[in-house]
Amino acid sequence: MKWLLITMIYFSGAQAQTEKLQEEKELEVVDFSSIKKVLQQDGLDEAAKKKETEVKILKRVQVKVEAQRYLYPTESELFGFVSEYWLVKNAQLLSWDFEKPDYGLERNFGATMESLGFYQKRYKILLVNTPSLVRTALPGDGEVILLLSVPFIRSLDLSKLEISLILLEDYVRLEQGYFKKAVSTEKLAKLAGTNFQGGKPDVGLVEELLRNYSRQVNERGYNFQQQFEVTKKMDAFLKSNPELWNAYYRLIGKIDKFVKSNTQYKDYVKLYPSPEMQLKWLSPEEKVH
Amino acid sequence: MSMWWMLLVPILAQAETVATDEKVVGVFYYSPIFGHVHQSAVRISPSLTTIQCSHPVKVIESSKVSAGPEWAYVQVADHRGFVLREFLAENRPDCFQGKYPKFFDAFNLDLSDLYYWGRLGDQYIQGETRVK
Repeated sequence: MKWLLITMIYFSGAQAQTEKLQEEKELEVVDFSSIKKVLQQDGLDEAAKKKETEVKILKRVQVKVEAQRYLYPTESELFGFVSEYWLVKNAQLLSWDFEKPDYGLERNFGATMESLGFYQKRYKILLVNTPSLVRTALPGDGEVILLLSVPFIRSLDLSKLEISLILLEDYVRLEQGYFKKAVSTEKLAKLAGTNFQGGKPDVGLVEELLRNYSRQVNERGYNFQQQFEVTKKMDAFLKSNPELWNAYYRLIGKIDKFVKSNTQYKDYVKLYPSPEMQLKWLSPEEKVH
Repeated sequence: MSMWWMLLVPILAQAETVATDEKVVGVFYYSPIFGHVHQSAVRISPSLTTIQCSHPVKVIESSKVSAGPEWAYVQVADHRGFVLREFLAENRPDCFQGKYPKFFDAFNLDLSDLYYWGRLGDQYIQGETRVK
């Protein structure tokens, strides 16, 4: 029995060896040098080389595409993302998901902007149903997100033009770059537009920005110097249109009286100091001295 | 008396008109980051389903449904409802979540986030001043 097994193994091994030899013989029969000439004549050699180059290029593109999946958005895109994320996270506090009165802002605000020479500017207006946030402007990606309180509009009985002027002032304030400067972080400057392949994205970058947004909108606001610059900018923009300038001046006066007499809006002057000073900065007497 | 079936002819003809009086205008792509298919053509109307950027949306024209110029009557999976026309693109849009998938996934947005993000787009008054 033992001998039988040994014999079987021997023969099966011998058979395999024979097959291998046959393959080798076949390979020997093929004269590659003669085929090479034929291949060259048919241009197949060239095609193979071309294919090889294409594969190399494709592989390089593939690596690049894969790397792009691990990019942080650019600074502008990050601001657009974080502004919306902040609105989403504060949806209940800001109460923006409600049926809004039609103030005709689609037409009026755009028309006011254009009459003052603001062309090709993208904006989003979000009316909020709370008195706790009166107004603010957030940076979007290539656009501005303007927030305005409907209870505030109603309390002051603001006209369409006055609403447009408030929005315009917020637009100018945002364009001045105060908001971005106030909320920006070291991480934002360091990570925006960079790649994190091989690691995890630092979500702390966005969390930090969200906290700064809340602080800026609800507590910090703007200082006197910034308000002065914004008011002077508005003055310069509106100067050519006396009707708009007068409407703006009256609006500031209206806000001044209202926030002084209404305790619900006592924090307004802390965030936007101050309508009283704005009137002084705008008044013609002040300009003479 | 034997001609009673003749009464059914107009009914059958009408049924056929109703069934065929509806056509698919085309397949478009949803362009904001998130959105909703609304129950009615009103911005604050309840949501039937949440969709995200680049989701294919079948726009339907039906004599039975009047969507108005601002809204499109659409079908998404088994849901039929309304989305704002301005949010529909003919070509696949360049979505934030598609451009930065690994960054976006890291936030693990919950259902409430998705819901409100979808509502946000409908609540904006959007505009762009014209070219000089």
